[in-house]
Amino acid sequence: MTAYGEGAIIRAARNDVLGRDGKYGWPQSDCWNSTLIPHENDHLKYAFVGPALLLLIALNIFPLFYSLFLSFTNAELSGGAATFVGTANYSTVFSTPRFATAMRTTATFVCLAVAIEVSLGYALALCFRAPFRGKSVMLAVLLVPMMLSPAVVGLYWNVILNGNYGILNQILGALGAGQPQWLTDPDLKLYSLLLIDVWMWTPFAMLISLAGLNAIPGHLYEAAQIDRASRWTVFRRITLPLSFPLVALAALFRTTDALKLFDQVMAVTGPNDEATQTLSALLYQVIFRNYKMGQGSAYAMVVLVIVIALSTIFVRHIQTFQTRHGRAA
Amino acid sequence: MVKRFFLGSYFFIAALPLVWLLLTSVKTRTDVIDPSFRVLPTQTVEASPPSFNPTTAGYRDLNEPISGSVHGFLHFLWNSIVIGLLSTIASVALGTSCAYGFSRFDIPGARDWLFFTLSTRFLPPLAVVVPLLVMYRTFDLPNTHIGLILLYTGFNLSLAVWLMKGFIDEIPKAYEEAALVDGYSRWQAFTRIILPQARTGMAVTAVFCLISAWNEFGFAMTLNNARAITVPVYFAGLQGDIQGIPWPRITAGVLVFVAPIVVFTVLVRNHILRGVTFGTVKQ
Repeated sequence: MTAYGEGAIIRAARNDVLGRDGKYGWPQSDCWNSTLIPHENDHLKYAFVGPALLLLIALNIFPLFYSLFLSFTNAELSGGAATFVGTANYSTVFSTPRFATAMRTTATFVCLAVAIEVSLGYALALCFRAPFRGKSVMLAVLLVPMMLSPAVVGLYWNVILNGNYGILNQILGALGAGQPQWLTDPDLKLYSLLLIDVWMWTPFAMLISLAGLNAIPGHLYEAAQIDRASRWTVFRRITLPLSFPLVALAALFRTTDALKLFDQVMAVTGPNDEATQTLSALLYQVIFRNYKMGQGSAYAMVVLVIVIALSTIFVRHIQTFQTRHGRAA
Repeated sequence: MVKRFFLGSYFFIAALPLVWLLLTSVKTRTDVIDPSFRVLPTQTVEASPPSFNPTTAGYRDLNEPISGSVHGFLHFLWNSIVIGLLSTIASVALGTSCAYGFSRFDIPGARDWLFFTLSTRFLPPLAVVVPLLVMYRTFDLPNTHIGLILLYTGFNLSLAVWLMKGFIDEIPKAYEEAALVDGYSRWQAFTRIILPQARTGMAVTAVFCLISAWNEFGFAMTLNNARAITVPVYFAGLQGDIQGIPWPRITAGVLVFVAPIVVFTVLVRNHILRGVTFGTVKQ
């Protein structure tokens, strides 16, 4: 308990006004503590939030600047003196085709993965809406892939996709279909990764979509019934628009995650396969296989600019989402 | 009807890899890489396709060191447990106090700080690993448990802060108000009123922090190549094994490794959605 600080009451009153103004804190913040307990000092609140924020700064902000510095040097992973090389690393990044290829691979993967997972997840959520027997067991089983370690999942899928003894080709063989080489055919490898990702993460999109669907008030459907609206109209005018914000949220979560794709690439093809080299795999290859730390940092900075741009969009969406739905969305 | 069929077929297809995982773990390696279709466990001697003789060898030999490695599965599992548990405890502790601060005080720029916290989650590990590696070398932290614990704690803080803020916001302020009027200090109000009330939230947060630390691969592989190797890195490293990948042992290991996660997730099943969306969606 601290003593009354000089001017604490005035400060509290001011905070109160500013708080009501919505200038500080969350829109709904009523800043009750400032008015009720004017004797609290300002240091206390920083003691609560400080340690966590300091750790985040140490592990995120500092590395960013250090990475920026390294990207202008020819530092090697093995250590040794690094010299300043100007923008040479950046010209390598933009002049070699491997970065463009990795960008294309990643973009293809992200677009396809998000589109399939979200639409499939949404369709499944529509089916999961009505209660039926065994629903919770079914949901539980579908969620198991999400809990597995992506790296190990990638390794395990070799058993399924292997061209020779994989179960998938055994089934295809029994059906008289061809024997695609899922893991070695350069045209198929990326789609094999996509298949694994869809298997792991479609239930995630489904879960969020289901929450969106369940939040639609029932009286809207009753009104539609009175209006004798067709099922398609009901879907287009009520179900889809009202669940859309959450579906978008699912899409954004999956986008930011799919952008980082690395674990499965390592397990399925290794980091240096042209057909599946995502941005993260490229970074790994440059830094840990070619030992080019400076150049890797230049790649990392470019990747970070992209990620930060995208995450800004994401954060904006969450911001509007939360304001619109209140904090308890 | 169409819905039933669609749902049923998706479920069937999605469940197959899980069933296959289970079957692979009770086969011999020869049966796993046999191109003929072996799906039915049977007791008959010399089973021919589509049957195979189930064996528990995958589980029994799980801890045998593989191809020249000094340690077996349990050693790596222990690393995973130590790193997972300690980083989870740290994330929940720091995250809860931080969330409390943001929930109950006027922090200048609170909105910006909270979104900074969330945005740290979007950074790909490989994009920040170089400076971290240099930092860790300076402080002699690579290859140590503490190095990964610190990293996972920082990595999970975004989740912990956002989840806990949601839970603490739901606790009526009147409780603390009463306590403060009764002469509790702020710290006492936090530990004696808020923490007991936030128990569920802390449990949920802990489960989701544990899942991501438990399964993490990018940092675990790049910052470690000796003493603190976790299970995902150990398994992934078996890929290039010249004696052939010991599939029964790997699949048995996968099942053993995911078991605690499944148990914990079942315990917090009512909050799964909240957990996977950082508390932005509440059930």
